[in-house]
Amino acid sequence: MIRRLGAAYDWFDERTAIRSLLRKGLYEAVPVRGAWFYTLGSATLVLILLQLITGIFLTLLYVPSVTEAWSSLNYLKEHDAFGSIVRGIHLWSAYILLFVIGLHMIRTFFSGSYKRPRELNWVTGVGLFVLVLAMAITGAFLPWDQAAYWTAVVVTNVPAYTPFIGSFIRALWRGADTVGPITLSRSFGIHVWLIPAILFPLIGAHLALLRKHGEFGSYINYRGAYRSREGVDVPPAPAQRPIEPPYPAAPSDELWAAPLQTEDFYPHQTFKDGIISAALVVVVFSLAVTIGAPLEAIADPATTSYTPVPEWFFLPLDELLVLVPQQLIPLVLVLPTGGVLLLLALPFIDRGPERNPFERPAVMVPGAFAVLFVVILTLLGSGRLFNL
Amino acid sequence: MAHRDPRRLSRRQFAVLGTQVSGAVVAVLLGIPIVGFLISPLFRQQQVVWRKVGDIAGVPDGEPTKFDVAFPLDAWTTAEANLAVYVVKSGDNTRIFSNVCTHMQCPVRWDSALHQFLCPCHGGLYDINGTNVGGPPPKPLPQYVHRIDGTTLFVQNRFTEEL
Repeated sequence: MIRRLGAAYDWFDERTAIRSLLRKGLYEAVPVRGAWFYTLGSATLVLILLQLITGIFLTLLYVPSVTEAWSSLNYLKEHDAFGSIVRGIHLWSAYILLFVIGLHMIRTFFSGSYKRPRELNWVTGVGLFVLVLAMAITGAFLPWDQAAYWTAVVVTNVPAYTPFIGSFIRALWRGADTVGPITLSRSFGIHVWLIPAILFPLIGAHLALLRKHGEFGSYINYRGAYRSREGVDVPPAPAQRPIEPPYPAAPSDELWAAPLQTEDFYPHQTFKDGIISAALVVVVFSLAVTIGAPLEAIADPATTSYTPVPEWFFLPLDELLVLVPQQLIPLVLVLPTGGVLLLLALPFIDRGPERNPFERPAVMVPGAFAVLFVVILTLLGSGRLFNL
Repeated sequence: MAHRDPRRLSRRQFAVLGTQVSGAVVAVLLGIPIVGFLISPLFRQQQVVWRKVGDIAGVPDGEPTKFDVAFPLDAWTTAEANLAVYVVKSGDNTRIFSNVCTHMQCPVRWDSALHQFLCPCHGGLYDINGTNVGGPPPKPLPQYVHRIDGTTLFVQNRFTEEL
């Protein structure tokens, strides 16, 4: 029996080269140091896959129509316990995804991993971050309860403050002057087809680039290794390094050309990735079962009692909307757009070989201020809305 | 190799050109209808209808009163949704306001203790005349296109000024 299976595998391998593909995929050299930090990337991927799977199954029930959307999800809530858990997983893994992708980005920023030759790893990563935010925004419209409706109204109204063409952008997004049936159809199509059609190939590109250049730990992970007795950073002699693909094959004097020590991706890195991802999935599942996904009353444009409260990831933007005076409302558009453009430009601005975060004040200080700014806005926003 | 007239396309150049032209034909024939479909809302007129709000004789002077009026939802939907209509009488003057905030289009409500229209989202304030008097709103509260037959109010689902 075993021999039969072996023969079948040989037959399959002869036609597909599966054996060498698996070997290439699983036994890639990864750095030993910093391995726990790399789990943020795989956790992001696992959470995105969780979104994909639960999202596909939610379309088996959800109806993207202003008269049916809320009712279909209310049916799920009232009559389908397992379906409710699926929706809960979709929501809570989205929340945790936004958090983890942010940490992944901060880790990369901190360790200077976006430097040559990994500039495009960073650029594709920023693209993925923006697309994940776009998924969060369009996804938030779909339940068509009060929260969804007023989020749709406010969010689609923000671009109306673009000079000259603002009201056109708003009409284009809403599919009308006001939020209505076409807004919901469009958001659904964008959420389930348009963005995923860009997002998943971009993930492929991000991973292909990762495989091409390999991971690289932060300065913190290599601190002791590169520090001689005099306190001067020196790389160990090239001969000491077990250099393997994808790291440069030729011996290099460059400090950051290759990690000190590597190990096989499988099972050493996959073990750590697995532990972190499984822990996150357990958290997501527990939140999905205990708290679940809320569904408020159906959308009512005539309400005089409902206070729209934005999703937590909108809090910084919402607080800006409160703080920015009426003459400067376009600032609410300029700040996030400028932030994304700066992120895209980062590897082309910070080009020096220095990776130690404490030796890169020109990017670390503005970066820290940007994070602090967003955190303060979030705290102010939650203080205002939840009377903390 | 035989000498070739440089003004004539080589077999290879012809194949390159053919590939590019084929690609361009596909892109244009797909692109025109898709882009047109995408931007068609910009050229569409939203359905405008008159609806009866009711008798406003009982609306007290100086106290904005809210009516809910069902208007058809946009496009193909046969269902209707309520819009809020605030009737404000001050002396001989009757104004018909919407509850749509000019800042981010959140639902404002009359706060009788404050004696102002308050927007719950970002703290916009309007006085009883609809003038934006506080917070971020850049314009006064929108007014509905309306007519009053005797004491019966009719409104359209559009504003006197575009938002």
